[in-house]
Amino acid sequence: MIWKIAKKEFLLNLMTFKFAVGAVACVVLTAVFMPILAADYRQRLQTYSRNVADNEAELRTVKVYRNITHTIYRPPAVLSAFSAGLEKQLVGSANIELDKVPELSVTERKGNPYLPILAVFDESLIFKIIVSILALLVAYDAVSGEREQGTLKLMLSGTVARYQVLLGKLVAGLVTLGVPVTITFAVGLVVLLSYPMVAFGSSDWARVGLMFVASLAFTAAMYQLGLLFSCLAKRSAISMVLGLFIWIIFAIVIPNASVQLATQVRPLESQEQRDGRLLSLKQDLASELGTVKVDFSASLITSDEGDSFGGYYAKRRDIYWLNAEQKLNALTIPIKLRYADKSLEIERSNLNSFLAQRHLARSLSCISPISTYENVMAILAGTDITSFDHFINQVRAHRNEVVEYIRSKTGDFSSASFFAICTEAESAEYTRLYVQIEKAQDEQAKTKAEQALKEWEQQNPVKAVPLNLQDFPWFKYRQSAARDLSNAIPGLAALFIMNVVLFATCFAAFARYDVR
Amino acid sequence: MIRQIARKEVLENLLSLRFALSVLLTTCLFAVCGHVFVNAHREQSKDYWKRTNENLSALAEQSNQLYKVAFYKQGIYRKPQPLALCAEGQEGALPNFFEVNAFTADLPRTKGQVNFALPQFSHIDWALIVSLILSFAALVFTYDGICGEKESGTLSLMLANAVPRHKVLLGKYAGTMITLAIPLILGMLVSLIIMVSSGEVAVGGREWLQISTIVAISLLYLSIFVLLGMFISSRTGHSPNSMAILLLAWVVGVILLPSLCRIIFDVACKEPTDEELQRRLNQVREEIWNNHEKYGKNAGYMSNDPNDPGNNPPARARLQTALMDATNQLLQEHHNKWLEQALARRDFACLSPAVIYQRAAEAIAGTGINRCADLYRQAKRYGADLKEFIRSRDMEDPKSLHLIGPEQNMAYSWRAISHDPVGFEMVPKFQERDLALSQSLKLAVWDIGLLVLFNLVFFAAAFVSFLKYDVR
Repeated sequence: MIWKIAKKEFLLNLMTFKFAVGAVACVVLTAVFMPILAADYRQRLQTYSRNVADNEAELRTVKVYRNITHTIYRPPAVLSAFSAGLEKQLVGSANIELDKVPELSVTERKGNPYLPILAVFDESLIFKIIVSILALLVAYDAVSGEREQGTLKLMLSGTVARYQVLLGKLVAGLVTLGVPVTITFAVGLVVLLSYPMVAFGSSDWARVGLMFVASLAFTAAMYQLGLLFSCLAKRSAISMVLGLFIWIIFAIVIPNASVQLATQVRPLESQEQRDGRLLSLKQDLASELGTVKVDFSASLITSDEGDSFGGYYAKRRDIYWLNAEQKLNALTIPIKLRYADKSLEIERSNLNSFLAQRHLARSLSCISPISTYENVMAILAGTDITSFDHFINQVRAHRNEVVEYIRSKTGDFSSASFFAICTEAESAEYTRLYVQIEKAQDEQAKTKAEQALKEWEQQNPVKAVPLNLQDFPWFKYRQSAARDLSNAIPGLAALFIMNVVLFATCFAAFARYDVR
Repeated sequence: MIRQIARKEVLENLLSLRFALSVLLTTCLFAVCGHVFVNAHREQSKDYWKRTNENLSALAEQSNQLYKVAFYKQGIYRKPQPLALCAEGQEGALPNFFEVNAFTADLPRTKGQVNFALPQFSHIDWALIVSLILSFAALVFTYDGICGEKESGTLSLMLANAVPRHKVLLGKYAGTMITLAIPLILGMLVSLIIMVSSGEVAVGGREWLQISTIVAISLLYLSIFVLLGMFISSRTGHSPNSMAILLLAWVVGVILLPSLCRIIFDVACKEPTDEELQRRLNQVREEIWNNHEKYGKNAGYMSNDPNDPGNNPPARARLQTALMDATNQLLQEHHNKWLEQALARRDFACLSPAVIYQRAAEAIAGTGINRCADLYRQAKRYGADLKEFIRSRDMEDPKSLHLIGPEQNMAYSWRAISHDPVGFEMVPKFQERDLALSQSLKLAVWDIGLLVLFNLVFFAAAFVSFLKYDVR
């Protein structure tokens, strides 16, 4: 009996004008949106690859270990076309420097300050807005409309149980709405995949699959919400008005209000406080560095050359300076590293206060199925705040790897290769010859000494060769699909629970529905 | 007759559920809006005065020597506006900090804590409530205005009498507008009462004039949706169909279109980058340095000893002024590019009436992008005034070289600018001036024109459709 009712309802629904309008709008809008979103993704991907390539090329020309100060970038998420999340708000590049914290340009926006990032734009917007309205429109007159026409009375006067009617309507609604959801998803995927730069891995397919499940669950929840109002009101006009008002509350009021509330309840750590802490740390560092005393007074010759990333290296210098600098580095770099870790803690706690506000806003908005759905989609697409957190942690790990790499290559920062391209032996020989000229008694001895230095310089030309970075720990961004999927579970569960609760409420309301 | 129909409409609407719901929802939102605004304004004012006073006391310290006043980089902050209640204009994300001295002004920056991790940082304001919530309510009021009456059979009864059709249409329009004006005015009153009673914000005659203009623009904007609703309602015979079409139109026009236009613009347009600016700056500077002989003998040479015969102070001053002029010009060009891009993006989004309305409200309230750009202009003008002041005071010092050039070292070691103390009260201080109301009206006049145009188009469409409407 349920199937019969469902079939009848389904056929009736398919023929309605509102369904046609909604379904066509979904598909047409997706077909319009997707190429734009794909173009946007392509642009970001190009910028990213350019940045990475430039950066790597520059890194490969680095001559001394001190100047390994490259920048790492976060690749754009391919599924950001489906849910943009925070993809554009958090830029996501970090500068790795040995004695400084990884500078995370995630909280500071660069570029045109007159172009504020407004509401995000992605495929999930269609589901969030249009499909949810469509679900409400399909559901609002399912019960109250039949009562108005008098068919509900006729149906229930037969041997059909009320729960069968309700289940039939539910199944019919879900199947009806499943059609546009599936078509829209398929159209979106086909358009996106038709672009050559888009390549899905198996984890991406899992993500897309779960996104589809989430979309279906969300649509079902919205449909049942409409059905509930239909079971509560006697007239379909009333259930429509109720449905629309609750929609505007869920879609617009709650997302905005939760952000407002979160900023009020959990204010950000003040910038002055953070700057003060960083400043005191800097002063501590300066005073500790002040205790390190190295004698540079014997140094003779200065010859530095510019290197990649705006650094410089020592080309050919005397042994006294070289030894002094070696000693200085061996003493100061560990101190600087320790302070860099401390200031990273401060930066991290500052960032955490940003993220905590965001988390609070998200939890508050969870009463709205629309917001819950949005969050689930962002998590699944890998554009959520947690994936940025993940990026930041990876950056930190990478920095430690780089530090370890340099440490092992330069013998705890004490070797000359840390800052100079000449070896100690070379430098010692050079100094000996140089001092010979200085100490020459007469013209003849001086010419001879100069000749010797020139010969030696010809035999040992300056070899400014780039470092051999064969075993360098290159940064590779690993998107953890399993982590994202497990993060999405609470949101998905919330959607399912909403479905169950709404169904129970519908059931109770319909059981007591006055069909007269 | 029109009045009678309007009265009937109003009375009928007043008793309906949708009216109760929309009044409840909008009043709550307006109250929250007022409350949030008062809190934010209090914080921002405290912050603003603290920073401004810090800046002034730092400037006062510099006034022991005239040249220091010229070189001190003053921080100018954006003053919180009382009318941000009506239209905040995304000011939370716009630049709020300008650094200026007598010779140059840095590019505007955003200073302070803005949480970019939050989904959107536009504050709740009147423009948001009207453009999203009340426009939606307008559709809910009008979707069955005509086809609903046809379905219940009253339309044919009404038209069977000697009432011409246009009177019915006008009566219904007037009735719906009056019903819609009730939540609007009520809500605005509530949030105004909250604002005024808090005592935080001084509201003068000028502000009242601005507020009433914003109310008028809001009504004009809502009227578009009322007319759209009546148009669609008189094109369809069945009220659910009319609702479906209206909802689609609303979603596309108010929510999707602005975002779509923005993203298309972003994909199509490249942002002027900082690297590009730096490259051009370096290039221009290098060119000037390489041709330094053009500005006089030894312009490129500078020794801190004022008696060094190699020094040529006038040439040096010319060189430095040329450098600074070139820098300022490039910065100005870069700023203009930024501004053009931001304004063009918004103009492009103006296919949507919601964006037009928000832009108009912003212009009247004196907030948003135009205000920030104007503040930057004012800061630069202030820098020029300060330079003039320095020049006139410098004349009084016989020991000075009277070379008002932008090199601090020159002013310090050669005494190119006077080292005499200057009375702090005489130093010009930055004072932000609001745009005159006539000027903000001029900014908004195009938008108001567009809103009127939308109204006329939908009115004509509704009129024609209703005249041809089949009431059976």
